[in-house]
Amino acid sequence: MTKATRPILLGIALSCLAAISTAQAKDQLILAIGGEPEQGFDPLLGWGQYGNPLFQSTLLSRGQDFAPQPELATKWSLSEDRLTWTLTLRGDARFADGTPVTADDVAYTFNTAAKAGGRADLSALAEATAIDEQTVTLRLHAPRITFIDQLLTLGIVPHAERENGYSEQYGRHPLGSGPYQLVEWQEGEQLIVERNPYFYGPTPDFERLVFLFTGEDATLSAAHAGQVDIAAIPPALAANVPTSMQRVIMESVDNRGILFPTQPDNGEHAASGAPIGNDVTADPAIRQAINLAVDRDTLVEVALHGFGRPAFGPADGLPWSSDEERIDAPNLAQAKGLLDAAGWELHDDGLRYKEGLPARFRLTYPSSDTTRQLLAEVSAEMVRPLGIEMQPTGRHWDDIQRHALHQDAILFGFGSHSPQEVYYLFHSQHAGNGYYNSGFYINSAVDAHLDAAQAAPSSEQANRHWQAAQWDGTTGYGLRGDASWAWLVNLEHVYFADTCLDVGELGVAPHGHGWPITANLLEWRWVCD
Amino acid sequence: MPSIAMRLGRLALVLLCVALVSFGLMMLSPIDPVDAYLGPQVAQVSPEQRALIAERWGFDAPPALQFGHWLRQLASGDLGWSHVYNQPVSEVIGQRFQRSIVLLAGAWLVSALLGFALGVMAGTKEGSPLDKMISTYAYLTVSTPAFWLAMLAVLLFSVTLGWAPTCCAGPAGVLDQDVTLATRLHHLVLPVTTLALLGIANITLHTRTRMLALMRSDIAIHAFAQGAGRFDVAWRHGLRHASLPAVTLAFASLGELFGGSILIEQVFAYPGLGQATVAAGLRSDIPLLLGIALFTALFVSIGNLVADTLYGVIDPRLTTGGS
Repeated sequence: MTKATRPILLGIALSCLAAISTAQAKDQLILAIGGEPEQGFDPLLGWGQYGNPLFQSTLLSRGQDFAPQPELATKWSLSEDRLTWTLTLRGDARFADGTPVTADDVAYTFNTAAKAGGRADLSALAEATAIDEQTVTLRLHAPRITFIDQLLTLGIVPHAERENGYSEQYGRHPLGSGPYQLVEWQEGEQLIVERNPYFYGPTPDFERLVFLFTGEDATLSAAHAGQVDIAAIPPALAANVPTSMQRVIMESVDNRGILFPTQPDNGEHAASGAPIGNDVTADPAIRQAINLAVDRDTLVEVALHGFGRPAFGPADGLPWSSDEERIDAPNLAQAKGLLDAAGWELHDDGLRYKEGLPARFRLTYPSSDTTRQLLAEVSAEMVRPLGIEMQPTGRHWDDIQRHALHQDAILFGFGSHSPQEVYYLFHSQHAGNGYYNSGFYINSAVDAHLDAAQAAPSSEQANRHWQAAQWDGTTGYGLRGDASWAWLVNLEHVYFADTCLDVGELGVAPHGHGWPITANLLEWRWVCD
Repeated sequence: MPSIAMRLGRLALVLLCVALVSFGLMMLSPIDPVDAYLGPQVAQVSPEQRALIAERWGFDAPPALQFGHWLRQLASGDLGWSHVYNQPVSEVIGQRFQRSIVLLAGAWLVSALLGFALGVMAGTKEGSPLDKMISTYAYLTVSTPAFWLAMLAVLLFSVTLGWAPTCCAGPAGVLDQDVTLATRLHHLVLPVTTLALLGIANITLHTRTRMLALMRSDIAIHAFAQGAGRFDVAWRHGLRHASLPAVTLAFASLGELFGGSILIEQVFAYPGLGQATVAAGLRSDIPLLLGIALFTALFVSIGNLVADTLYGVIDPRLTTGGS
């Protein structure tokens, strides 16, 4: 560089900072969607469980309909006893250093991840074995169809014993066979990645991606200053869209709902010391009446600023949840009828009583979460005309765990890309196990359906059993059955995106805002010149 | 003057106390380390995996054992492993402090020098328009929360006017090695200014009071009687006299500056030690939090030591014992 050009370049750098993103946007996309993995990009510790692993590729991928699609593995099968997965790898996959991905790497990845103690949960795996160069088997401890989640999310890393193999530093120097490779990670600030020339799939539209890891305020400021191409925005701030950007909405199963304790109060305590049971919510009539009375559309408007949709189950719209689980409009008359039939009598004070017991209980929410506070207070108002008094109570999570978890109705948020969550929430085996099934919901018919799902030969066939657990015609955990929850709303995740950016068909996001939008990153296009 | 050994002993004792108190606070904190580790995935893993996580990162050990283990590691020069960053604590602190030191040093220098200069100017002519302006300004800023000022600054200078970047220590999409010095400074201007404002007012007000006292003292009256002007007196007698509180405040405020930088770094998304401290606290990363606490305590102690030494240089009467 000559001396004369230096000041000019300097001037450009200083004055046109705002213009950088737009001037080079065809090659470089700037994303401010949060999701920085402080631990680094190590799949064995959980990188990639949430959205696109970017640097690594997975054995299978999720299609639009959530059915598994080939990725690194071209063929896969589950043995008759449901204990062994056998997968055949494609021959042309290479790590970003040009070396081929072999069955050894896959087996190493799974075996090491099982012991790593990170966010990737491979506790179901007994052992992974490389049969030959291209075939690998994964043996499980017990039948568990949801183990397929790990085939969908665990990025494959190179074996530790090869050149550039896995080591303690891998998180900061990831090497994988995914669409992009790491150029530089300025921790706490940004991540710069470029295309991996050896990627076996279609070439991504953008040569370079820049992920800014800014907080909500800084992200919003940057969006308004025109410095980013896509930004995750909290719904409360989404009304004012910057010029040359548009709102992009991603549907989600990031839901909020009321969990009811389903056991009566027998004076028992959980291992944590928290008392178990609530005599009011133990009556299914109360739970069903509340489900009928809440006006979910209004809740979406009031608590979510309109960015959401009504929720009727833990996984609305996903294949393991039935579309028939829904209440079209609140029906107070039917709800009152249910309560009358169950012996809850309306007294002069406007409250219902059954054998001297008032229909009154606490509705606890984590006090730091204003959305849940709104949901709690508004839904309490909605059921008040029934003669049921839900008392909204804000507590710290710790307080909830020690006192409220098993005796109060609680405003929870769930929502996952895996039906395993349904298993945790409703199987009696997980009753009182931390946040899972904290209402001690116990129904042997539901247990049987959930176990049948885990033992199914494929995830498609498992879906029928998952749905049956919700309602099998006579019972179920869902609305038509025991109404163990009153699901209220599904959030929508809001982004501001440049009008030139086409993000294609977005999937359904799980609980957690931000990175999940990258799931279909390879379909994103720049539509302006 | 106490011997070096005595001072070091005292310092070690202070550090041990800091570590013990921080550790105790972490133990009392209601945060479940496994929940904090899992973050949004808190309800996605099996009970077996939770147990594995607790075992791998040492969350399940009794507090006394955890602290003992940490002390033993420290004795062998190892600050431990941060589970939030999956990196040795010393590396986390080293990397982040490199960024923070620029911000801190810049803000510290600006606030000390500017604060002192303003204080001397205001104190020299009590009641003058200049004094009133400076005092008003100082009273206003001393009662303004720094993070609020920072948010206003971002809104005005970055979003509305577009003069300064909205965040970070460098521009988006530019490799670290390609960032020019000018760009770095450009990114530093707003955070440094807002952080400096935190310290300026304090130093100004104290210096001003000292100057006022001097101007009313016998020394000043004597000098006036000999025909010296106010600025003459301020220059010859005032500077040294008024610099004692300024030095004390400047070095004592190092701790405050650290605290302030945590908030400022959050607002400007500036990746310094402040962000790491917040992450360590909220996510129960005990080795990292203890490491940062020790490091900060050491930093502040050294600041005080320097101030102590400077006193003797500025005012020889303050040298105790010895001669």
